[in-house]
Amino acid sequence: MTNYFYVSPEQLIKDRAEFAQKGIARGRSLVAAIYDKGVVMVAENPSASLNKISEVYDRIAFAGVGRYNEFDRLREAGIRWADTTGFTYSRDDVDARALANYYAQHLGDMFTEGQKPLEVEILVAQLGNALRPTKLYRVAYEGTISDEPYFAVVGGDAETIRDRFALSEESLETLAATLKNAAAALAGPDRVLPAEELEVCILEDRGNRRTFLRLTDEQIKEMLS
Amino acid sequence: MGLPLFSADGDPGPSFWHLADGAGMTAGFGGSARDSPHATTVIAVRFNAGVVMVGDRQATGNYIASRDVRKIEAADRFTALAISGSAARGIELLKIAQLSFEHYEKMTDSALSLEGKANYLSPIVQRNNLTTPLTVVLLLAGWDESHLEGRIFEYDGAGGCYERLDFATIGSGSPFAEGTLRLGFRENLEREEALDLGALALYEAGDNDPSTGGPDFVRNTFPMMVTVSAEGFQELPNADVGERFRLINERRTESRGVAGGSLR
Repeated sequence: MTNYFYVSPEQLIKDRAEFAQKGIARGRSLVAAIYDKGVVMVAENPSASLNKISEVYDRIAFAGVGRYNEFDRLREAGIRWADTTGFTYSRDDVDARALANYYAQHLGDMFTEGQKPLEVEILVAQLGNALRPTKLYRVAYEGTISDEPYFAVVGGDAETIRDRFALSEESLETLAATLKNAAAALAGPDRVLPAEELEVCILEDRGNRRTFLRLTDEQIKEMLS
Repeated sequence: MGLPLFSADGDPGPSFWHLADGAGMTAGFGGSARDSPHATTVIAVRFNAGVVMVGDRQATGNYIASRDVRKIEAADRFTALAISGSAARGIELLKIAQLSFEHYEKMTDSALSLEGKANYLSPIVQRNNLTTPLTVVLLLAGWDESHLEGRIFEYDGAGGCYERLDFATIGSGSPFAEGTLRLGFRENLEREEALDLGALALYEAGDNDPSTGGPDFVRNTFPMMVTVSAEGFQELPNADVGERFRLINERRTESRGVAGGSLR
């Protein structure tokens, strides 16, 4: 006969949250911010091929921190959801809020019912147009979803970075200025992050249907200088 | 569709076709489709602030089965949907469309775009028509809330959906209605002009096509006339429609059944 020990729900949730937080804290953080012409996402990422930021749809981008294999699967699922929704209805009907909700539901399910909670935090960014507003949705490991007004930080050191970035944030600035602030907030007072260790992507209208753009190291260098 | 998550071994990879096929989004083949007469005429005409739709009310088998069928229904507040072909399948499709659009709105807390509604019905028509002989052809017209204009989407027997920038017709009376519309249509019609043109085109179809019911002065039953604009789906009262057809009828009586030299 197997013996089951009683664990109170409070303790269970606490343990699981601690486990997820620890996993997320091991990775580097990520800042997303709205600038005068679009949305920029800046991640501290020494790898040039294992990306944290990705295009999801015409005006939607995904960013994830924590365990790579876990958020990459969520990224793929998001792209599949967006492409099938756009195919079934129309491209105008693909909405970042709906996607963020699905992520929240899945993360919530995994947190309470899964073998282990997912050690990830997700950010879904949407570039606004006549139909929808520009939005940053942050989804935490336990499925909490929040709608951030100007900028969002995800990752282990989010609190400190948020405070640092908030100091610089006054009104909507140019891409270069916003990028500088984000890079400085990620680095902290004692470091300077070189362009090679930054992953920077933007959503900006350039006259095409697809608005996502990944900046090259040269472009990042130029903007930071 | 929820979040399409797959385990590593069941993953469709980057192929969209395999993903769509696995989700049942592609059409199945089989069964035997054959042409069935779409004994109907429904017309949609764009005007400067929306669309007008006119449809006859006769159900035809080997004889006239009914004289007061409603072939145009409001799929939602801003969308009119008309059917031709199999009545049973057509009415079922209307119900599916109505419920689908409402369901989407409740689930996502945002209304589906007009183009989204049109696209959504495409594979449903396709599946029905390619697998059963009970063919249905649709005509969807509505007010596009994001582009602030009336738009018309026409379907073909295989479920193909095409946007029409001027007017569209479905049913067996189409050739006759189409002739009138081609001569009478111009861009930026006023609401009244579009209603008159639609009524005239339907009169022509009723006059020439045995399976299209024209105005029935004996029973006081007249074709359905509908407008969809920023105010939503609005059906013209029977008396108003009757008056329009009475005027056409009088003019036609004067000139002994022909239009008599002008579009009237």
